[in-house]
Amino acid sequence: MSRLIPSEEELHAYVDERLEPARRREVQLYLAANPEQAARIEGWRSDARLLRTALAGWAEQPLNPRLDPLAVRRSLRQRRQRRWATAAMLLVALGLGGAGGWQARETSLLASNPPMADAVQAHRLFAYAPSLDIAVQRPAQLQAWLGEHFQQAAPVPDLSAYGFSPVGARLLSNEQGPAALLVFEDAKGERVSLFLRSPGEHYARMPRGERVDGTLQARYWSRGDYNYALVSDAADGRAAQLRNVLDIAL
Amino acid sequence: MNHLDDAQLRDMLQRLRRFALSLTREASSADDLVQATVERALSRGAQQNAEASLRAWLFSILYRLFIDGKRRERRHARWLAWFGRGEEGGSSTEDIVLAESGLAAFARLPTEQRALLVLVSVEGLSYKEAALALDVPIGTVMSRLSRARAAMRELAEGNTPPPALRRLK
Repeated sequence: MSRLIPSEEELHAYVDERLEPARRREVQLYLAANPEQAARIEGWRSDARLLRTALAGWAEQPLNPRLDPLAVRRSLRQRRQRRWATAAMLLVALGLGGAGGWQARETSLLASNPPMADAVQAHRLFAYAPSLDIAVQRPAQLQAWLGEHFQQAAPVPDLSAYGFSPVGARLLSNEQGPAALLVFEDAKGERVSLFLRSPGEHYARMPRGERVDGTLQARYWSRGDYNYALVSDAADGRAAQLRNVLDIAL
Repeated sequence: MNHLDDAQLRDMLQRLRRFALSLTREASSADDLVQATVERALSRGAQQNAEASLRAWLFSILYRLFIDGKRRERRHARWLAWFGRGEEGGSSTEDIVLAESGLAAFARLPTEQRALLVLVSVEGLSYKEAALALDVPIGTVMSRLSRARAAMRELAEGNTPPPALRRLK
């Protein structure tokens, strides 16, 4: 006979088969001599069996395919991409809204309106960004894209004679309305961009002109329904020539 | 670096589903809970190597998500009550699956007791693993197990029809 009466914890461990073999035998003997305790334990056992059977039946039902790790991975990926897209859009809104808005405030304060400041800002943000809305190789592709978004857009001239080919474009928007940034690149990877949008409250029609903003230079003009700006590195000597070509064509 | 591979996870799905059902007591939200658990596990990337601890880890994610969800639900209910359209008590559609499987007594136990009983009696977790999964000390596991089994017994016995009266001579 067992000398030690098993504790409550030991009784549970006995049911769950977690006792050392020696102790297990002792508890067995104890239960044989104590039918009341044995009945209690039998009750726990039968409850556990009931639970196992019931849940086993449930688990035999086929799994919902959406629970498969592959499906979950896929949906996670999609959600992540959506989140990035949202973040990128927010950045554009903040960048242009913030910069544009701040610029607009400054300009009204100073009563001097730096023309096409948003063009310079857009060039800074996006001309070298890895992702543009579209990537293109041929001028025709660029033209088609532009036509989709800007009804009155004149044909963009081919700049390949000057060593520049189109790489892509980005549709932008600030409080003055929609705008487009067309990006061109030369063989060395230098980029210039052509910015266009409708004249707005702060950016009215303007005479042909140019100004230096930091390391960048903007050359701008108005023609037809749009204001244009060619933004390039201030040191880039080809820009003046490019601007003339564009100015004539657009 | 041990990557949590899909096969390991797939093997655990039915177990996770059983555990989820015992918590939610309702099939479709149990599946939602399992899906959220798999998402969490995949995006955390497992640092778990031993299979046993992987199991405890997955159960712990699921349990945590369930408890957080409950908390949110209660807060939501308080808001609804604040706006004068509170709904007291659980919905009647709940518990259906469990009641049908003869688990009405089990379904009436408190959440933490249901969780523990399933992990220990059905999934065969050691007390230590169960403590990990439910994020409680092992002493709590023991006392809770004792209470849970006693409560389940009581409910089960209360449910059995009273013995027929014997006619006395």
